[in-house]
Amino acid sequence: MRAKTEKVDGEAQTLYEAFKLNAEAVSARVDRAADSLEAAFKVTEIVRQVGAKKVVAEPSPLVDSLGLDALWNESGPSLHRGNLRLHAPDAEVGISGLDLAIVETGTLVQDATCIGGRLVSMLPPVHVALVRTDRIVATLRVALDRYSGNLNGLPPYLAFISGPSRTADIERVLTIGVHGPGELRIIFIDRPGVEAV
Amino acid sequence: MSGTTIKGDIQAALTNESLRRALGRFADAYLDSREAAYQKKDFSALREEIAALKSQAAGRMEELAGQFADEATRHGAIVFRAETAGQAREYILNLAREQGIKTIVKSKSMASEEIHLNKCLAEAGMDVVETDLGEWIIQLCGQRPSHMVLPAIHMTRGEVAGVFSRETREDLPPDIPRLVKVARENLRQKFLKAEMGITGANIAVAETGTLVMVTNEGNGRLTTTLPPLHVAIVGLEKLVARFSDVAPILEALPRSATSQQLTSYVTMLTGPAPAVDAFNTPVQKEMHIVLLDNGRTEMQRDYVFKEALQCIRCASCLNVCPVFQLVGGHVFGHVYTGGIGTILTAFFNGMENAAEIQTLCLGCERCKDFCPAKINLPRLISKLRTRVTREKGLPLTQRLVLKNVLTNRQLFHALLRAVSAAQKPFVKEGTMRHLPFFLAGQAGVKNLPAIAKEPLRDRFKKNGGREAERNALRTGLFAGCLSDFIYPEIGTSMVKVLEHVGFEVVFPQGQTCCGYPARQLGAPEVMADVARQNLEAFESAGVDYILTPCPTCTHSLKNVYPELLAGDSALQVRAAAMAGKVCDFAEFVYHQGKGGLVQKPEFKPLNKKVTYHDSCHLKRSLGITVEPRELLKMVGADLVEMSFSDRCCGFGGSYSIKYHELSAHILDQKLACIQETGADLVAVECPGCLMQLRKGLADRGQGAPEAKFLAEILADQL
Repeated sequence: MRAKTEKVDGEAQTLYEAFKLNAEAVSARVDRAADSLEAAFKVTEIVRQVGAKKVVAEPSPLVDSLGLDALWNESGPSLHRGNLRLHAPDAEVGISGLDLAIVETGTLVQDATCIGGRLVSMLPPVHVALVRTDRIVATLRVALDRYSGNLNGLPPYLAFISGPSRTADIERVLTIGVHGPGELRIIFIDRPGVEAV
Repeated sequence: MSGTTIKGDIQAALTNESLRRALGRFADAYLDSREAAYQKKDFSALREEIAALKSQAAGRMEELAGQFADEATRHGAIVFRAETAGQAREYILNLAREQGIKTIVKSKSMASEEIHLNKCLAEAGMDVVETDLGEWIIQLCGQRPSHMVLPAIHMTRGEVAGVFSRETREDLPPDIPRLVKVARENLRQKFLKAEMGITGANIAVAETGTLVMVTNEGNGRLTTTLPPLHVAIVGLEKLVARFSDVAPILEALPRSATSQQLTSYVTMLTGPAPAVDAFNTPVQKEMHIVLLDNGRTEMQRDYVFKEALQCIRCASCLNVCPVFQLVGGHVFGHVYTGGIGTILTAFFNGMENAAEIQTLCLGCERCKDFCPAKINLPRLISKLRTRVTREKGLPLTQRLVLKNVLTNRQLFHALLRAVSAAQKPFVKEGTMRHLPFFLAGQAGVKNLPAIAKEPLRDRFKKNGGREAERNALRTGLFAGCLSDFIYPEIGTSMVKVLEHVGFEVVFPQGQTCCGYPARQLGAPEVMADVARQNLEAFESAGVDYILTPCPTCTHSLKNVYPELLAGDSALQVRAAAMAGKVCDFAEFVYHQGKGGLVQKPEFKPLNKKVTYHDSCHLKRSLGITVEPRELLKMVGADLVEMSFSDRCCGFGGSYSIKYHELSAHILDQKLACIQETGADLVAVECPGCLMQLRKGLADRGQGAPEAKFLAEILADQL
């Protein structure tokens, strides 16, 4: 049993390393946490670095597992988890949970049917994306195959995100951060807390 | 559009230094970055997959449109089938009016450009804002996109700063990150207030009613999320049958379009997703999908042009086009530009609109290698040319020449000989200032070669057939007009090499022009006529192989004749038999030598630095790149590769006369690559390229390398 766990861990490590390489090639920054608590500290550190006073987070099991409300209480930035259409436009950081990560392209996949997940990942200049480490797949085709089994249940809004928003429309010079976030910070969580998915 | 207008536009584009620099830099960088993006993919397998799924979808377009509409409706979308651009505009305008819409944001959609939607909505008093950075720039200056992926590629940062300064009433510096930030801030306000969002789509999946959008800036996501009303305009060619068809297109589109593994955002919409209003109150999202026909069904019913529906709009055919690279998109006069744009314009705007722009194609066939949907664009443009010619007719002199002269070999050759005599006063050191050649007659063309005093065919007659060695295989030389009448030394060099290694060489006197120029001018029936004459000439000569020094002739004999004569089954069989014997000279010599079938040639070593130019038809129609280089190494040449060795030299037959300035610019780029290598010699295996390169190198004067035909280089070392 133990040997098997180690093997799984080894595979996860390989996939994680490969994902990190490809996602960083498209200007995302990738980190990994052992559990939700460590992830919460990493998110807090990002928020501190950004100097954010206002943070929005979508209601999702992965985000809930971090327990940010309790961690930040009065000392931290204001955290808004509802009324996102009003709060997301002037928040500095948005936090959301994503469903899959694709090694091949450094991409995250999200069932973005709930509008909250879209608003927090689009409007603030920094997007913090939480993903479970065991949800890394090798290729785009494998990721799409996950949805082909139940085509009737395709999410109305399925989003694929590879790095921050970018453009090369002026003289083909790559510029990061147009309409979407200019920073994408991805945190993998090996063992999300009990409340998790 | 009249001919003088397009020539005026070309002239203006050629004198626009910043445009040429921008396009040139892009074209150079594109090749490497695209290759890097495909590094871990098998491009040829991928494009087979896409061509198959898209051509099947095109074949079932109507059925898939119905299925898509049913599925999307089932998921809560409202689908409208628009037969014409007018119907699509009217539907969207009415919808906006009914709901009292005042502010609209749009993400990039070529279909909306195609139906000129902005103008119609703006005239109705609505505030319509393009939110894709490039589209916003051109909207602010009232232009058309010049490129379907990079709409404002023709503009510099300085020009953009000017446009944004006017818009924001600020004095903005030409600093790109700053300009992008200005766009973000200005457009963010528009997004938050917009009542309606308009998008296009890259793929529409019939099986699930899903729309797939491929974007980078994030404006597509905002447009589909913030306003509670979403309208998507989707051309029928975007339909695919299955959800599994999405993956191959997503693998190719970003790689070919922007050299990305995947764009920053890919969004898949299956029916409306939940929405909230500006006060975060949940509201019912409305999703309208306008399925646009506007000429696509007509295209689908056309057995030739149906192929163009396979296009996934990556614009790689624009990015590798030597003509686009010089003049940009606006010269094309319509929304869709470049090679594929020419075909789309013919169907979406009417054939008459493509009549002039189709002549911009040089026929270098480079785009064919890059198309991720495997569209044979050069073939489609050539077919378009035939149709335009059929409708418009050729100019009288050309028609007379083609129909009465080219099909009558004795008359054609007699005329060429007469020219040889008449040109004497004009000839200076083998080239002439003014070519009294009936196909020419344009000012500014200089350093054209003279017609040879003694054509190749006469040299054969004089020497008689040499006594063939016992058991020697017999090769027949198909000279082609340029080697026969202008560069007979190419032919004599080939004979020298072939006889040296032990072949018999004959020259069937009944041979004439291969006919390819006639087809290029839109008269395939003239080519079919001369094809029959050439067939007879070579059948009666009883040859084992047919060798030509000209890749266009080789391509004609080998690939075009069987297709051209397919209407007559007996002729087709004969054409196929002849095609089987046709071989390029370098390919033949190299492989015969390697196979040990002939004696090994003994060459005196050539102690020169040589660079090799890949002729368009030799590389792309015949796939020959290795053999000429190997032969050069065999003669001991110090082979140095030039950059972009397979980029066209700008000759393109009569193209260099019709668009001589464009041709001269393409030639200049080629010459710069050649001279950069410091080679003494540039080797070519196409008489057209030889003519073009010699013309250019003569202008460069002393110290410029010499252009020489491969067969000549070999023969000189025997």
